Amino acid sequence: MEANKPKLIVDGKRLDGRDFDELRPIKIEAGVLKNADGSAYLEWGKNKVFAAVYGPREALPKHTADPERAVIKCRYAMAPFSSLEEHGRSGPNRRAIEISKVTKEVFENVIMGENFPGTEISIFIEVVQSDGGTRAAGITAAAVALATSGIPMRDLPFAVSAGKIGDHVVIDLNKIEDNYSDADVPIAISPRTGEILLLQMDGSLTREEFKEAVAKVKKAGQVISKIQREALKAPYEKISNKYK
Amino acid sequence: MEIVVPGEMILDKPIHMENTFIENEKTYAAVLGVFDREKKTLIPLEGLWYPKHGELVVGIITEERPNSYVVDLNAPYKGILIAKYVRDRLSVGDIIEATVKELDETKTVVLMREKKLYGGKIIDVKPSKVPRIIGRNNTMIKQLVEGTKSTIVVGMNGRIWIKGGDIALTTEAILRIQDEAHTSGLTDRIREMLEKSKTTKSE
Amino acid sequence: MQNINSIKSAYIKEMLNNGVRSERGLFDYRSISVSRNIIPNAEGSAEVNLGSTKVLAGVKIDIDEPMPDKPNEGNLVMSAELLPLASADYDTGPPSPEAIELARVVDRGIRAANVIDTESLFISEGKVWSVFIDIYIMNYDGNLFDASTLAAMAALTSTRMPKYEDEKVIREGKLEKLKINNIVTSCTYAKIGNRIILDPNGDEESVMDSRLTIANDETYIRAMQKGLSGSFKESEINELVDMTFEKSKDLRSIINKLSD
Repeated sequence: MEANKPKLIVDGKRLDGRDFDELRPIKIEAGVLKNADGSAYLEWGKNKVFAAVYGPREALPKHTADPERAVIKCRYAMAPFSSLEEHGRSGPNRRAIEISKVTKEVFENVIMGENFPGTEISIFIEVVQSDGGTRAAGITAAAVALATSGIPMRDLPFAVSAGKIGDHVVIDLNKIEDNYSDADVPIAISPRTGEILLLQMDGSLTREEFKEAVAKVKKAGQVISKIQREALKAPYEKISNKYK
Repeated sequence: MEIVVPGEMILDKPIHMENTFIENEKTYAAVLGVFDREKKTLIPLEGLWYPKHGELVVGIITEERPNSYVVDLNAPYKGILIAKYVRDRLSVGDIIEATVKELDETKTVVLMREKKLYGGKIIDVKPSKVPRIIGRNNTMIKQLVEGTKSTIVVGMNGRIWIKGGDIALTTEAILRIQDEAHTSGLTDRIREMLEKSKTTKSE
Repeated sequence: MQNINSIKSAYIKEMLNNGVRSERGLFDYRSISVSRNIIPNAEGSAEVNLGSTKVLAGVKIDIDEPMPDKPNEGNLVMSAELLPLASADYDTGPPSPEAIELARVVDRGIRAANVIDTESLFISEGKVWSVFIDIYIMNYDGNLFDASTLAAMAALTSTRMPKYEDEKVIREGKLEKLKINNIVTSCTYAKIGNRIILDPNGDEESVMDSRLTIANDETYIRAMQKGLSGSFKESEINELVDMTFEKSKDLRSIINKLSD
């Protein structure tokens, strides 16, 4: 109901004190899960996400295999204890299945799968705590996990949501902003080319507002990409520094 | 040492190198790795194995078929040994070393010249670390064998077979080489580690 | 593949025949670390690392209806997921028999030990609290039972009860802690050939013939589960029960020493 809609912008700042273009704090740790071929743990504001990669490995069941390239599979799921609200159901629901699909499509673009025909590369994203923007967090973490697996890629994609709250186009909506926003636009980008690999929209925007959103996403992406790169380099630099 | 990530531009001109790709006349890294600007090489820090003819591998027989044996190589692709060329009878569970003949059109690694390995223990490491475990001119592997008295067969697929000697020490040394492969002074540190263990044992 | 793991681990059988185990004693636990409140959105949570086995437990408390046969009691609902990211051997899809067994065994230990007084979860006729405990296996390296029991116990000791006011569930503000009446822990043993070891890792589990989990508190055995198709002698089980009462002291002390 309009009457119950909270004010999301107070004195030019968002409820959590951020500016319109400000990202929540992001921390990434690469290689946290021992069994997976590649993995990463990411905290983005209050979001906490594990991403893991298995593969390339034999595609099973056999009928899912592609003789020309690796098949990319993706599972995005939220833990039943991840939300501030009630206990959720176990296993992916329809929303999670849609997110799994569009996430898979991001990585199908950048993974050089033609090197591994007949195999599958499985990406797992488990959200253990959620606060809006989990699909962007998942994609950003999965890119790091893939890089730690050694699977060749043309780029390291990142993702972030843009949105409209009040009359302003903002970056990186948290849960409450997402609930009451006029638009929520998750976007994933291939930073090397600037091309858009994921684009969804929920709500309404003018054409100008949309352009503004994309520009803000690209700008925020510079910060996100840097954090991804640093997470990948950190374990090696730490050991190197020990033995300099 | 330049650590690069996938999609990072490493050269302003097109040079063909492993683990890279070329687009718009520029060369980009395809994997997380160490770029040597002088030697023009990109060494992956993580590891996938691309089978090459003549490489030695260590595998495990997982299936016996009418005309062949299926071999697990801890790799994206399975290995195969053609039964009629096999020296001794093999069974499921046997550990073998073999040589890569080719990656055939069904994406199976055709193996030849197999030799059964009895007993021992297998360690799987990242294939990209194998060159460091062997060392330039075999310096590292020789040091390991002398220092531990283990028999060690290093498969280019990242699968290593160890038998006899101080298996715990050999395992520890190999895993440490894997962790520190990208650093300098590693050969000396491993030598110290092996010597220290010898003195501790004799005390 | 199970086959590959058991072949790679064949050397373990030989070592154990000589009474030797890699890197620890036959009845030693691997290093254990427990952190609580790692998922602040949940009412309670904990992460346990037992060697390389990593388990998350999350507690959520909702308003619910009581079970028809227990109209004056709230509910304790335990479930476990062997997440596909935890091991190459885990698939996506509905919970496997292994996941279900894990959840039910951990549940029985906690329930029998009366860790929570379910009557205290009663609100009014037809309205009770349900305490949902979800065990999330993040990395498998053996002995999910002990790691999961520790994680569930640690999560419960950190759990805050929501309030029910004006027909609404309130999860913020100053909340009371869930009253915990007891601490239960479990010890899991693997039988490999004729040897029995405590806290098997993943490699050891790939060659084990039989498994025994014993949950207990200071006085009582609270749950038991024998797994896999091998067997135990009665005398072996009695010895392991005695050993469990000894070993569980350290496990209980880990729970008692937790601070937020």
